Amino acid sequence: MRLVSLIFALMLGISIFAIPQNDAIAFTEQQISRGAYGDDVIELQARLQYLGFYKSKIDGKFGYNTYWALRNFQEKYGLPVDGVAGANTKKALSGNSDYDEGWVKAQLNAGNQFTYYGGKPLEQQVKTNTGGGGGGKSSGSSNNNGTKTQVPPKYTEKDVQLIANAVYGEARGEPYEGQVAVAAVILNRLESPEFPNTISGIIFQPLAFTAVADGQIWLEPNERAKEAVIDAMNGWDPSENALYYFNPKTATSKWIWSRPQIKQIGEHIFCS
Amino acid sequence: MRTMLVILTVAVIGLGAYSIHMHKENTSLQRTVLAQYTNNLTDASEKLSGLQQAVSQSLLFQDDQAMNNELDSVWRLSSEVRSSLSNIPVGQEVSNQWLSYLGRLGDEAKRTEKTGDYQAWQEKMPQVSTNLQSLSDEWTAATVDFYKNNGNMDVWVQQVDNKKPNTTFDNVQKTLKDYSEKDFPLTLSESDWQKKIELKALQDSVITEKEALEKVKNLFPIIKDATFTVTKSSDTAPYPFYHIQFHQGIRLGYVDLTEKGGHLLSYLVERPVDEARLSQDEIKKKAEEYLKQLGMNDVAFVESRENHQAWHLTFARVHPGDNALIYADGVQLKLAKDTGELLGANAMEYIQEETIKPQTPRPIDWKTFFDNDVKVEEVRKIYTDNGQFEQRLCYEVIAVRDKNTQETFRVVIDAENHNVLKVEYLT
Repeated sequence: MRLVSLIFALMLGISIFAIPQNDAIAFTEQQISRGAYGDDVIELQARLQYLGFYKSKIDGKFGYNTYWALRNFQEKYGLPVDGVAGANTKKALSGNSDYDEGWVKAQLNAGNQFTYYGGKPLEQQVKTNTGGGGGGKSSGSSNNNGTKTQVPPKYTEKDVQLIANAVYGEARGEPYEGQVAVAAVILNRLESPEFPNTISGIIFQPLAFTAVADGQIWLEPNERAKEAVIDAMNGWDPSENALYYFNPKTATSKWIWSRPQIKQIGEHIFCS
Repeated sequence: MRTMLVILTVAVIGLGAYSIHMHKENTSLQRTVLAQYTNNLTDASEKLSGLQQAVSQSLLFQDDQAMNNELDSVWRLSSEVRSSLSNIPVGQEVSNQWLSYLGRLGDEAKRTEKTGDYQAWQEKMPQVSTNLQSLSDEWTAATVDFYKNNGNMDVWVQQVDNKKPNTTFDNVQKTLKDYSEKDFPLTLSESDWQKKIELKALQDSVITEKEALEKVKNLFPIIKDATFTVTKSSDTAPYPFYHIQFHQGIRLGYVDLTEKGGHLLSYLVERPVDEARLSQDEIKKKAEEYLKQLGMNDVAFVESRENHQAWHLTFARVHPGDNALIYADGVQLKLAKDTGELLGANAMEYIQEETIKPQTPRPIDWKTFFDNDVKVEEVRKIYTDNGQFEQRLCYEVIAVRDKNTQETFRVVIDAENHNVLKVEYLT
């Protein structure tokens, strides 16, 4: 009898520990709300989707879609409705949903289209990416968890990627300030009536950028170039409103020397 | 010796065949590119003619609907010509002038359609129509050589190469500049805006390089022991400023301060960032402390965004009269996720300080303003640009459409005349 009790206790213990990531310590202790990004948000979105509250893409960005889903969850489970994932909300979420972190991260890293609804086999919820990865290396603006960058709503992931390519192709040897300034020049052109009104139109305007002409725009940009683009999109402009820049050692155009100069950063002179 | 000769002959023949192959490939590629450029050029020239006709036709009607149709055509065609012109390699100055002229024409058509001020349009456009016709003729004369190129790019390249004088293009450029100034002179609001971004309102006394450096050390004590390099902005810069670059251990960065009054333009540091240790709330509190340190006590939080190394937070000046947020007077901070250190501050807009004209808000009944399946979740008062360089008091509404899909929109509505200024889809 004692042996049976021991085996039973042992099995109970094993079964408690075997429940996959279904406890309050799954999340970090950080309280998260709108604007947050990263692993905790991925888990939050996945758990909310598991329970049917979150219907959008799991992308690790705590935007309005996550916010309303969380509020609806809080309302349904009798929690204070504030759209903030604090300790109590996380505990309630963890207690009522499963989270297969490995599977979710694998889909994100592979750039697969997927959902994570509870009660439906996971293999039926994924559409494999055959184009070389959307969240992986080729996306150009994701970290190693497959989450993308967060930029002001008027810009897109594609914009980050394109400008990062231009910054890396044009100024990868320049100080960080100079890289932000090159990104800012592209954004200043977007505001100017004298240039095309799309980022792609500006970058690929014939004769506009050396990196387009010599093909260096197609090099894979590094994290530093992407960070520079994010800073410029958030308002930083070390060029002080410049619309042009040139390298005085290599510039062949006489016209560019006629532009009013503003400042020099590294090898580039910025002008209006 | 004979073997060597055979090897050499084979190598020469091989090399010759390879170079012929490469030459053919290059020629074919050049022809494809040239065909695309020629297509865009023809397209732009034809549409330019269509645009001139549309402007002319818009002078025929008094009927609102007929007039609006023509204004739509002017707006659409001006956008299309802009797009074609921006895809052909011509000199930067010519391209700039063209895009600007056409953009202004399109904007004017859009504005007229919105405001219904047809009289102003009809007074101005007869001259614009004549000018467009003459521009179109000059453009045709300037680009005629582009069609005489025997399928290679040489003629085109010679035309756009600004080392060779080109009188026909110089004429187009000059005419465009003249017509731009005459047909679409800067409005009062545009001119005010230009003065604002050139910091013309700053009346403080000039500070010295030494004072600028002291100011930097006071504002950002973490870099007070850094090695600094101070340079002045170029003489032709729209506003003079000190460009202060620094290096301290793992930190590399810069500060720009205006010469007049030593106002902070921007600050940015690059340093390695470790794993996040602070919560979103702690980051926000730290940001508020930094704002006090920078002497910005009249701002309120707008939004924050986390990325893998840092948080970007936006604040805006609060209007002392009605507590509305003045978005144009924004300040942005960048904080490291590991320690919350201030990695950047951008006060370019904040120091420009908008002059706000008094406006009287009229309440809106959201139930009749929006469709039945739209729920208004948040409303706050803000001041923002109406697209014509005027700061307007607005209601900023966060609205959710459809209970099931919960699509979220940010809608900005002029509080006085209830015009919708912006609609943004939020995810």
